[in-house]
Amino acid sequence: MQSSPVVRPDFTAAGLRKVVVYREEVLTENGGRPERPAQRATVAAVIRNPWLGTGPTQDLSAATVAVAPQLARLLTDKLIDALGGVERIEAFGKAAIVGTGGEIEHGGALIHTPYFGNLMREFLGGESIICFADARAEAGETLVVPMWHKSQAATRSHYQTVTARISDGPRADEIVIIAAASTGPRPHARIGDRKTDPTVRAEDLERVLA
Amino acid sequence: MKVRKIVTIVEEITSEGGREVSPPARVAIVAAVIENPWKGQGFVEDLAPGIEATASDVGALLAPAVLEALDAPAQAYGKAAIVGLNGEIEHGSALIHTLKFGDHFRKAANATTLLPAVEKRGPAGVAFDIPLKHITDATIRSHHQSIEVRIADAPHPDELVIALAAASQGRPQQRLADLSTEQ
Repeated sequence: MQSSPVVRPDFTAAGLRKVVVYREEVLTENGGRPERPAQRATVAAVIRNPWLGTGPTQDLSAATVAVAPQLARLLTDKLIDALGGVERIEAFGKAAIVGTGGEIEHGGALIHTPYFGNLMREFLGGESIICFADARAEAGETLVVPMWHKSQAATRSHYQTVTARISDGPRADEIVIIAAASTGPRPHARIGDRKTDPTVRAEDLERVLA
Repeated sequence: MKVRKIVTIVEEITSEGGREVSPPARVAIVAAVIENPWKGQGFVEDLAPGIEATASDVGALLAPAVLEALDAPAQAYGKAAIVGLNGEIEHGSALIHTLKFGDHFRKAANATTLLPAVEKRGPAGVAFDIPLKHITDATIRSHHQSIEVRIADAPHPDELVIALAAASQGRPQQRLADLSTEQ
């Protein structure tokens, strides 16, 4: 969790108010130590909504191109730092919490286009589509951010979440943009995988469904 | 000491009141979610053996970790004990209100003052505010601040959350007259 290089001068102009790094490491779960104790982290940036006061037909592309790549860089730099290197990161996810003065679409513009997603994937060395959560909420709302494997999204052991929350954000005119990652699977993952699943069809389960 | 998880939070404020904060104001928190040493024992009259077994260990775990997370000299600090619903506030206080706990942080941070504290009982996900004051002079007004923390699934009823917080500077845009100007 190094302090630099954190804030680029143009970021202040873009209205970056604060960045919060959260990391948790589960040492024991249900009384037992996980075979591979994983660290999960979120990095959340609180920025001014660049489209505040604009209408529902506003073209969002210009500010998206200007802001989203910087967010992708800032958030992934800090994620990699918090988790000890890009090679340690196995799962990822992303999220946006839009203040009540904005549209969900504004959050989507900052996390769902290639100007964020492609860069986040590239910076974190992944191949998968990045799963996500979004919300419009008052400051202090919690958001559960989903994550899955960064290169093999169907890897069931890596389906997991981490909870993000900024106590005083987003204000009505702000957006919180979040990148999340994990260095391993769930603790004690033991619910099989596609490779080991039997074929399950409703017609074979008549007794269960009856 | 049975540790379930360790949570590290670093908050960096880059602007406040519409003005840039330079350098950014950093606050770090490291929290250990541990099993309550007095879990299931009813009312324990003498807490000293449990304090002896745990307080120094948890202080030694958290102090270097919070300073590493801050990645800057600490100018203000504070501590927290959040007790799960089955425990007593006294259990949390027992672990943090002893020199055995705080001296690890004081020594590592070259600090001299007592650590301001929050003690609270609540369910998993309870939010709590850790107060911080200057590490060598608790009357320095610019450094009075607090930081809100919430851990989504802690403390469980038989757990304690023990935390330390450190700040790299005073409040962002601090501009109050010093205490001495009013005396």
